[in-house]
Amino acid sequence: MNDLLPFIIAGITSGSIYGLTAMGLVLSYKTSGIFNFAHGAIAAAAAYLFYTLNVEHGIAWPVAALVCVAIGGPLLGLALEFFARLLAEVPPARKVVGTVGLLLAIQGLISVIYGGDLRSTPQFLPTSRFSIGGTQVEYSQLIVVLLSTGAAVGLYLFFRSTRLGVAMRGVVDDPTLLALDATNPVRVRRAAWLISASFAAASGILIAPTLGLEPLLLTLLVVQAFGAAAIGSFSSLPLTFVGGLAVGLLSSLSTKFVLGKSGLSGLPPSIPFLVLFVVLLVMPKGRLVQAGVRARAAVRERSALPRPARLAIGAGGALALLAVPQLVGAKLPVFTNGATFVLIFLSLSLLVWTSGQVSLCHAAFAGVGAAAFGQLTTQLHVPWALALVLAGVVTVPVGAIVAIPAIRLSGLYLALATFGFGILVQRVGYPSSLLYGSGGTRAVPRPGISWLSSDTGFYYVVLAVAALACLLVWAVYHSRLGLLLRGLADSPLALSTMGTTINVTRVLVFCLSAFLAGVAGGLFGAAVGNIGGFGFGPFESLTWLTVLAVAGTSQFGAAFVAAGLLAVAPAYYPSGWNEYQTLAFGVIALIVALQLPQRYDLRGRVARAARGSAQRREASPLRARPALEGVQV
Amino acid sequence: MTDTQTLNPSDLTDAGPAGLTVEDLTIRYGGNVAVSGFSLAGPLGWVTGLIGPNGAGKTTTFNACSGLLRPSAGRVSLFGADVTNLAPPARARLGLGRTFQRMELFDSLTVAQNVRLGREAALAGCNPLRQLISTAADRRAIAAAVAEAIELCGIGDMAGLRAGSLSTGQRRLVELARALAGDFRFLLLDEPSSGLDKAETAVFGSILRRVVEERGSGILLVEHDMDLVMRVCDYIYVLDFGQPIFDGTPVEVRRSPVVRAAYLGSEAADV
Ligand SMILES: Nc1ncnc2c1ncn2[C@@H]1O[C@H](COP(=O)(O)OP(=O)(O)OP(=O)(O)O)[C@@H](O)[C@H]1O
Ligand SMILES: [Mg+2]
Repeated sequence: MNDLLPFIIAGITSGSIYGLTAMGLVLSYKTSGIFNFAHGAIAAAAAYLFYTLNVEHGIAWPVAALVCVAIGGPLLGLALEFFARLLAEVPPARKVVGTVGLLLAIQGLISVIYGGDLRSTPQFLPTSRFSIGGTQVEYSQLIVVLLSTGAAVGLYLFFRSTRLGVAMRGVVDDPTLLALDATNPVRVRRAAWLISASFAAASGILIAPTLGLEPLLLTLLVVQAFGAAAIGSFSSLPLTFVGGLAVGLLSSLSTKFVLGKSGLSGLPPSIPFLVLFVVLLVMPKGRLVQAGVRARAAVRERSALPRPARLAIGAGGALALLAVPQLVGAKLPVFTNGATFVLIFLSLSLLVWTSGQVSLCHAAFAGVGAAAFGQLTTQLHVPWALALVLAGVVTVPVGAIVAIPAIRLSGLYLALATFGFGILVQRVGYPSSLLYGSGGTRAVPRPGISWLSSDTGFYYVVLAVAALACLLVWAVYHSRLGLLLRGLADSPLALSTMGTTINVTRVLVFCLSAFLAGVAGGLFGAAVGNIGGFGFGPFESLTWLTVLAVAGTSQFGAAFVAAGLLAVAPAYYPSGWNEYQTLAFGVIALIVALQLPQRYDLRGRVARAARGSAQRREASPLRARPALEGVQV
Repeated sequence: MTDTQTLNPSDLTDAGPAGLTVEDLTIRYGGNVAVSGFSLAGPLGWVTGLIGPNGAGKTTTFNACSGLLRPSAGRVSLFGADVTNLAPPARARLGLGRTFQRMELFDSLTVAQNVRLGREAALAGCNPLRQLISTAADRRAIAAAVAEAIELCGIGDMAGLRAGSLSTGQRRLVELARALAGDFRFLLLDEPSSGLDKAETAVFGSILRRVVEERGSGILLVEHDMDLVMRVCDYIYVLDFGQPIFDGTPVEVRRSPVVRAAYLGSEAADV
């Protein structure tokens, strides 16, 4: 028992912080219907602000903490409430894109200001120790637990004893109450976001000394609260706090049990996501009710270009792509990379835009594909081209596994489950000998014919594969499945009551998407010759989705634009621009998801300004409707 | 309430073969009973009406019929077979189609594509291969059904427009056309005429009669427009607070004091 005690104490300490974060997350989700993927990023921002005030400017820690939690947090909370109000009216996939964009924006901003390096922050709380049952405990740990628990109890009392609190509790229990006149929805929501952001800020400050300051680490690790929130089935606040403690304890204890078992070292940090994934899989569907209203995308008649113009653009683009090796000189590998990304984005936009499913684990598909391709070619000596196809085929079952939550879940919960899955693959899958092994990388050859393995030849190989992928997706898009997918995106309910078993449709699209991403992974590997899992982490998945949102919502155009933006354009930026890239992608994705251009009728304004006439603004084309007749499909 | 259950469709000699039958349906939302002990028979070849004030449980009954809600008690059968435990797509493939009170169109698809999915969705079914590709025979059946449904509803001029850009009345017609394009022998229509003007409603009523008379389909119609209900229905059930309070022919419903009290209220004078 005594050798467990240190782990239990460490687990309770971090667990109470997770609980604190998770309560904030659930509170804002239940009152506004927006699940804030950027919750961890707020914690990170607060931790950095605290660092600047306390370490760099020498301001006493209580003052610095107060500034972060009582001023910084609420200010951010206000902004979030505004975003959430706008996001409430957009379809689920865009809700996810919106807060993921915010995550990237905050994270990008931190990187721009502080750089991406890990900084250590001194523990500002007293580090002297006392002993419990022979185990040394730091006062800082005790204080952290007391503060977090205090905040939880404070929230509980606020819910019991104030009018606003009672109203808020009512809404958390039953979000439909928000629509009733009895509660003031704006006040409730605003207060919830203020509390939520302050809790995030507090947890960021508390956890930074043990984790260290690194933008991504904090952003993703505080997102461990997902697991805790899942235990509270995304609705019960007390259970969420308990869930935080449970996640902390499990992680900490598992650290002890995997000590010395090298293959499992990725397990402890993945516990929250394992919990999240499992809870989402086994939780009775009825308990995972999505908060908020269902919304439809604004639909406008697209003024599609006439067919000859489209053909001309396509032919011109194809010629340009063929001529690239003659035009770009030493930058050719950048274009090879871009052509590979066309596959990625084709596959992602098939999933996200065409079928309305969200995947936050697309990089994991590519990672699996790359490893499989390496093994097939170097160990099983499968011919190169066949191996590339098989790399995609091997990834298909992985896509099917991800589709299992897609069967049970939709929208937000699907996004969460895929995110958890991506992290699991990165932490547990990549280090296993099945994928990259403990060495972390795998050799991946180019085609055996010597000309094809030169940079120029390989560019054409990738281009040909991308062209085939385009053809495949085009054929699917115009097949029966394509029509079903587009129907699925608009109304799964209608599709299913007209006779399509949409679970089969969902599995199909995930498999197809995973296949393409797996092939792309193989090409990524062959391009560099030796590849590891580090380029295929959850952060890449988030970035890819964000960039796709920036590139637009068409099935084909967006794939090319996104590949250009992510892979090719940075090679041509003036020096120094690259560090702003994440920030820019995040901000633009947020703007796109909020549909700000449509909302303020930018197009119309520009047109009117050009005509010089002063017509009145049209009403917003967005329409929202209440959750449909209590039914979920 | 002695005059409830005066007459059952099965007692009527001209009632068609069994379409949709609901026996003793009870549905609870948490503690609230939304529908309680409701039985209904919607034979083929008839328009059966289901009316009641707001919140009476009509949509809830529909959702139980199409399999979106699991009833707390009771049975639903379709063409004589018990379907209580079937999922919505399976019921649809047996021939049960529906529309939604809040309309569930595929907004980003064109009107023609919407209507086409009405047929294609059931052909795709649950077989992955069938979901991927269609056969030539499928395509012929789809083309014919789409053309007929579009013609019947008179929406040919908007076939190329996106459903999301239409007005409410137009969207109602598109949703009806989509349901008519399907190979459905029984249709559940949830307030299909709300949003239509007088003239459109009249056309709408005649479409429903034609469907029932020419195709021999059965229709269960939820409607607030009393004129339309009285004109097109062969038989009417009345729900109030989830309880069945009356059923009978339009004439009987019109005369019933129970219905007047519960539902028609001040409108009763005009009927
Ligand atoms: N998802 C739900 N959760 C809880 N109660 C519900 C839900 N959906 C409906 N109800 C309740 O069930 C009852 C019946 O609702 P239903 O929508 O079936 O009425 P309706 O007859 O279709 O009314 P309307 O004419 O307004 O469409 C109402 O009291 C309603 O408040
Ligand atoms: Mg209704």
